[in-house]
Amino acid sequence: MRPEAGVLGVFSNLARGAQAIRALRAAGHSDVRMASPAPFPELVEALERPRSRLDSATLSGALLGVLAGFALCIGTAVAWPLVTGGKAIVSIPPFVIIAFEVSVLIGASVNLVALAVTAGRGRRRRAVPFDPRFSADRIGVFVVGDGLGDAETILRESGAEEVRRVA
Amino acid sequence: MSALASSREIQEKVLATQGRPGVVHTLLIIVAAGAAAFGAWCWSLQIRYGLQVSGLNRPVGWAIYITNFVFWVGVAHSGTLISAVLFLLRAKFRTAVYRVAEVMTVFGVMTAGLFPIIHLGRPWFAYWLFPYPNERHLWVNFRSPLMWDVFAVSTYFIVSAIFLTVGIVPDAAALRDATDGWRRRFYGLFAFGWRGTDEEWRHYARAYLYFAAFATPLVFSVHSVVSWDFAVSVLPGWHSTIFPPYFVAGAIFSGVALVVTLLVPLRRILHLESLITPWHLDMTSRVVLLTSLVVTYSYILEYVLAFHGPPSVERSTLVYRATGPYAPLFWTMVACNCIFPLLLFLRQVRARPAALLAICVLVNVGMWLERFVIIVTSLSHDRIPFDWTGIYRPTFVEVGITLGSLGWFFLWFLIFVRLLPVVSISEMKEASAHGGEDAA
Repeated sequence: MRPEAGVLGVFSNLARGAQAIRALRAAGHSDVRMASPAPFPELVEALERPRSRLDSATLSGALLGVLAGFALCIGTAVAWPLVTGGKAIVSIPPFVIIAFEVSVLIGASVNLVALAVTAGRGRRRRAVPFDPRFSADRIGVFVVGDGLGDAETILRESGAEEVRRVA
Repeated sequence: MSALASSREIQEKVLATQGRPGVVHTLLIIVAAGAAAFGAWCWSLQIRYGLQVSGLNRPVGWAIYITNFVFWVGVAHSGTLISAVLFLLRAKFRTAVYRVAEVMTVFGVMTAGLFPIIHLGRPWFAYWLFPYPNERHLWVNFRSPLMWDVFAVSTYFIVSAIFLTVGIVPDAAALRDATDGWRRRFYGLFAFGWRGTDEEWRHYARAYLYFAAFATPLVFSVHSVVSWDFAVSVLPGWHSTIFPPYFVAGAIFSGVALVVTLLVPLRRILHLESLITPWHLDMTSRVVLLTSLVVTYSYILEYVLAFHGPPSVERSTLVYRATGPYAPLFWTMVACNCIFPLLLFLRQVRARPAALLAICVLVNVGMWLERFVIIVTSLSHDRIPFDWTGIYRPTFVEVGITLGSLGWFFLWFLIFVRLLPVVSISEMKEASAHGGEDAA
């Protein structure tokens, strides 16, 4: 992953990190990124990123599962039409259980694949320079671009412990 | 308020649990492995000589193996309850305890899944349970509750394993960046290249919510399906409409009790007292108390329904259950599941880990007995009085396989706690940064 040019600020305080992101965005920096050790909602909200669109993929997977579950039960029942216990060959109530389980199975599997694809793509497209502290106890705020003297000033004024240029 | 000062401290405490196992831990692993090996040897006897080495006979054709299956599936329920349902309800106390519950779920289902195969007698035909294309177009019967079980338990295992693995990803990344050598490479496998960027968290948070949303109905569906193994039959003592909620409550009861049973020694052995605090144990034991009351209500309701109306075979079976040859087991079950948990109303009891541990061990004994009593007493007192002389006694092979299942479960669990974090590092960091109850 080739790092893009920009300025990286390292924060030890959550509120200051969020404040820096808001200040950078208010100053007109559109490509502000972040790395953190935990899913801090303040930081994500400050970035004002759109909501993840996993919904449609996951919902499609769940609906596909319902159809696959019913298709499996009905198709196999019709393929060998053996009456057991006087019950109907195509008996919908018991098939609902299979359809539900397959729906959950395929929905969760698609959710997993969608997460792997979207998170992996996002990591590459909006890369933040690696620093092991960002998975431990520090927050990295990264502003992409050239020049960026004002971004350095904003990061320092917001309370960054360390500000450095990334070539 | 928002400082990250305690984040590294949390991480180091969890990392300290990942070192070389101590003497106690090693001994426990040896005992568990020995029990599992003994169970495997007992199973080999059954494979060699057939089901005649078990105590199964007419009319009791389901007994200790199916008891173990229902017990372990039930135990597995608390993991999803604590990790998914309490996540959706935003219950703060789940943060420190949910990983243990999730691990218990996955290994519990792995253990449960063995028993239908062991019960088959001819385990090499286990694949007949799955729908697979064959030249005769002979398919499985989807109208059978046994087939619902195959789908419900398989789905539950896969979704629980996904949920556990996804939850570990950020924690594995944190440990990867804090270690070197083979551990760094090992954690790297579970981190899947995680960097903690805003894009990753954005999608992760959404996906986690959906995993919780998928897992929540599974909590209720899986044990309902297991209860239908019994309830859709016409056997007195089994044929009851209250079985699904009764079984689900019992499953959560036994599962949360096992979580407490594991947490109390674990926090001491791994020195996690500052992360898994008395408050977490207190809140978890309240869930045990609540579900105990629901289970007690179900027991009473079962008898009220049988005694409401004219005398019936159902009433006869339930009287047999409480007064017949299995009565000592029945009353032990009542004491363990309904009487002893009432002590949890006392704050002093909830504040003492040793007392909690004792009560929760008794609950687990009681819940195992509950499944045994439901299965065996109903079969040994069916609609044919000719059958009523049949008393089931487990053989040493069945007891050995049951002990082996305990060994199998604890072996996986004990290995896991030394290889991967038993407390969610990222969620603890978040809770700590926000000054919640979970602060380290």
